[in-house]
Amino acid sequence: MERIVQGMGISEVLKIMRSADGYYITNTARDMSQSDYKNRILLHTDLLAAPSREEAGYFSLEITGGASVHVDILRKQVDPFLKLELLREKMPKTMFQTLCRGINLFGYRPYPQNVIRFVVKEFAKYVDVWRVFDFMNHVPNMRAVFEEVQAAGKILEPCVCFSTGPEHTNDFYVKKVQSILDVTGEEIVLCIKNHGGLGSPKRIGDLVDAILQKYPDMVIHYHGHNTDGNDIGRIVAAAMAGAKIVDASDHAFTGYYGPPPILSVIHTLKEYGRNAVGINEAAIMETSDVLQPERKYYEYFESQIKGFDPTVQIHKLPGGAMGSSLEQAAKGGFLDKMPEILHKELPKVQIELGNYWSVTPGSQILWTTAVSNVQGGERYGNCSGDLKNLLLGKYGPFPFYQPPDWIYEKAFGPDWKQILERDGGMEAIEDIDLAKERKALADKLGYEPTEQQLVTYLQHPNDAVNFFRFEEKFGKVYVLPPSILFRRGGFKLGETITYKDHTGKEHIVEMGPMQESEDGSETNVYLNIDHHQRHFVFENAVAQAGEAKAAKLSKKEIEDLAKAGDVRAPFTANICEISVKEGQEVKAGEKLVVLEAMKMQTPVNSEVDGVVVKIVAKVGDAMQPGDELVKVTPAA
Amino acid sequence: MKKKILIANRGEIALRIIRAVQELGHIAVAIYETPDKDALHIRTADEAIWIGDGPRCDYLNIDKVIAVAKKSGVDAIHPGYGFLAENPDFAKACENSGIIFVGPPSEVIQSLGDKVTARRIMKEAGIPMVPGTDNLSAGDAGLREAIDFADKYGYPIMLKATAGGGGRGIRRVENEKQLRAELPMARAEAKSAFNNDSVYLEKVVINPKHVEVQIIADKEGNTVHLGSRDCSIQRRNQKLVEIAPSLIPDKALVDLICATAVTAAKASNYVNAGTVEFLVDRDWKFYFMEINTRVQVEHTVTEMVTGIDIVRTQIKLALGKNLSFTQDDVKIRGYAVEMRINAEDPQNNFMPEGGKTVSVYRSPGGYGVRLDGFVYQGFTIPKVYDSLLVKMTVFGFSWNETVDRLLRCLNNFVITGPKTTIPYYVNLVQDPDFKKGDFDTSFIETHSHLINYDDQVSEGNKLAHLIAEIHYKGENPYAI
Repeated sequence: MERIVQGMGISEVLKIMRSADGYYITNTARDMSQSDYKNRILLHTDLLAAPSREEAGYFSLEITGGASVHVDILRKQVDPFLKLELLREKMPKTMFQTLCRGINLFGYRPYPQNVIRFVVKEFAKYVDVWRVFDFMNHVPNMRAVFEEVQAAGKILEPCVCFSTGPEHTNDFYVKKVQSILDVTGEEIVLCIKNHGGLGSPKRIGDLVDAILQKYPDMVIHYHGHNTDGNDIGRIVAAAMAGAKIVDASDHAFTGYYGPPPILSVIHTLKEYGRNAVGINEAAIMETSDVLQPERKYYEYFESQIKGFDPTVQIHKLPGGAMGSSLEQAAKGGFLDKMPEILHKELPKVQIELGNYWSVTPGSQILWTTAVSNVQGGERYGNCSGDLKNLLLGKYGPFPFYQPPDWIYEKAFGPDWKQILERDGGMEAIEDIDLAKERKALADKLGYEPTEQQLVTYLQHPNDAVNFFRFEEKFGKVYVLPPSILFRRGGFKLGETITYKDHTGKEHIVEMGPMQESEDGSETNVYLNIDHHQRHFVFENAVAQAGEAKAAKLSKKEIEDLAKAGDVRAPFTANICEISVKEGQEVKAGEKLVVLEAMKMQTPVNSEVDGVVVKIVAKVGDAMQPGDELVKVTPAA
Repeated sequence: MKKKILIANRGEIALRIIRAVQELGHIAVAIYETPDKDALHIRTADEAIWIGDGPRCDYLNIDKVIAVAKKSGVDAIHPGYGFLAENPDFAKACENSGIIFVGPPSEVIQSLGDKVTARRIMKEAGIPMVPGTDNLSAGDAGLREAIDFADKYGYPIMLKATAGGGGRGIRRVENEKQLRAELPMARAEAKSAFNNDSVYLEKVVINPKHVEVQIIADKEGNTVHLGSRDCSIQRRNQKLVEIAPSLIPDKALVDLICATAVTAAKASNYVNAGTVEFLVDRDWKFYFMEINTRVQVEHTVTEMVTGIDIVRTQIKLALGKNLSFTQDDVKIRGYAVEMRINAEDPQNNFMPEGGKTVSVYRSPGGYGVRLDGFVYQGFTIPKVYDSLLVKMTVFGFSWNETVDRLLRCLNNFVITGPKTTIPYYVNLVQDPDFKKGDFDTSFIETHSHLINYDDQVSEGNKLAHLIAEIHYKGENPYAI
């Protein structure tokens, strides 16, 4: 019974696994956080779990990657590299695993090659196992990451993304495995990535078997989601068919769409005569005992709809996107439309758009298209920029068939054939000048950034800068527990809070009163910090005079205004790019602004020929439908 | 017999005077403008009279102040510093109304307030003077006189308003072109500030020490000095830190300056407390600058090293007593430093922080500390007056002990709400040149790094800031 530990190379790992009597377990804590808690599980909580997780004897702990890198800086204000360093201190033996979206890295859009290589090199210093996928299963999209991982001597785990439907045959997947091996060579762990938790146990068992028939030495890692409540069935089938590694996580935090509980997997497979290699069950129990008291602080981030969702077999949303999609529906006030969106429209869109794999960023395209089709009145009446890029093949070729012509016509108008001819297909993204980016970041920060800061910045420029500034103002907040960071409704007068800062120094904060200034413009919050009285002043939000006048405009009104050159936001979104300057001449159809909603980008184009006379909004602004963006004076 | 004494001032000096009045067993009458309605001086005085909405106009309104004084039946008025303190018309109005003015007679204020007259008196008394002119003639003739003077003594020169004082109405001119440009502006400014467009010139003494002598005289002509003060640490002619006695190593020189101050006071028939200001250049030559005919902000340091209560003495003299001590009785012991703790943001060009509420006020105590302030926790600093919050005067037996105590007291001083000059002073008192006592009027300018204190709070405070925000918003706005 040999445990896999950090530092082992791929050959050694494969050798041990091939000869092992039993299977290994990956604790997919990251996926659990993403699927069931909107990625909010804090480093503080992971550090509590670290000692027992280290003793549990996992093949790997997936603790970074996916959307977590972005959410780390955006919502948890923790440096994704520092997180790995601190965990490594407590977990010297356990391999750390990431989930990488190939050319899209940890984001939603393709990055230039030199950025991909730079980012992977930096993360490879901390990450041992690299699970890499592409939502189109387009192997060239993963190539740069493959090469960098192998060059760094780390364990490469390419994925075949799995889905269901008549096209998704064993034969298709076996051939896909071959096209991966053609690029990587044989020293890999192969992942069957079942991000939706789709298919029956039998289906998964058959697939594992089919691959092993062709490649008997292949070490297969089965990854699933428990959205329908039946992933243990699929795991059992995969392991019985010969998969060597399976995914699950700590029962204290298992919920709905993420991984199932590790102990249930172990207990079930034991009955079938399969042993979890290197596993210490007591340590797994201890982890959940440590985690259990923390769960209540995360309640707010749990799914808006409780319970398992077997209808995932129809709508196929990946577990990692379920929580955020439902959150969007709740915030957008269309949670009641879920049956229509999930059970009717989304399955239809799936088929119409080629029945590719519903996983990031392809799942966001499917979801936003389905929502827009239901909410917008007209199906494909308002195609997002990302959908258009998908249709043009910018993400890669459609694996089975191209969407029907009428969708192209909806998206691109009557000249869609010429547009497809002219703009279709993947295009190489030009390398960016890293030295220039470094300089730009240094200028923004006022000091020379580290390599890691640059990596974070290259992936999410605005959010990275905001994060670095946040740290300057508030310090390293990862030391604070969820009971503080996620506190709702304020603290009690006289409540005492103690914490250690990142240098290990203890602090004690006693909550004092909160008082509004005489004119109501500010609020003072009084605290005793380390027995010294202090207060912080917050400016009270003023009900803006403009709010009344920004009365809701109808879709028709927004369109009419746009035709007169008064360009408004057509939907709720953030501005991610302003493409024009004041005084610039524009032609009808020319891009003015790019909006981002649900991680999907949509350009807002000019309806008229004219001159940009005023840019009202700026990058980063949150727009409501009808908010002013740009004013164009139409040419006479 | 109990006298009623009106304090025609506000802020810390009003409180300082009220205390002396009350210690003498007299009745203190405060006046106030509306923005001072929550001020401590009106709560401490035995009576307080509202004189108008202000701001700054009612405290300066001679007729109004005299009228309320008469109505209230006061015997004497103490003008403090600033406002009407050096206005001869006010002293005159008191005299005409049969009210005792606590200060010199109006004609003394008049002649010493007119800088040119003052220079003439001092010149006749043989007091060393910085080369300068009489009042410049009007128009082009004045410009000609100015250019001739500059040609003779060289640039830079100072353009000074005859009626100015307290660092106001002064312009430094580096060359003839600038002189031509600045002269009309200086006149216009003097006209609007002091209602008198007379200006005169003085040669600039480069980076002098500012040394002044507290003098006090009774109506019999008994005139003594209470030793020297060094007020070189100034920013744009506004004093920040004052020290008694002067740290000039040559004690004989300091004695000579003090004796000269007494001669100057006598030459001007001075009565009551005043200050004779000198410049000391780098060759240890000293020059008469002016006589301030009021109690100075920094009188506290002299009180600390002499033990003499200057304000009490002022009142006693004004009420007809003679000096109860002679020059021989005046002994200087130890050192005292006053730091003006202002509601200003040193890191933002010393911008005033008026309008803010003092949310925490915790002052230092213990041996050798004296505080003359007027703010309290919960007090909102009026925007319309000066930014002085409290004068912290620290006394010590030796210079080193005094400096040690300064740092301790500054570190123990907590004022939150407005930004203050405290963190700046924390740097200042640790500066090697300051510790050596080596400073002149260029100190603030040449020690610009003192501004580089870390206003950023500790890591514990940063995290607490987020906790405060989570508390205020009811949720963590950065996590949702």
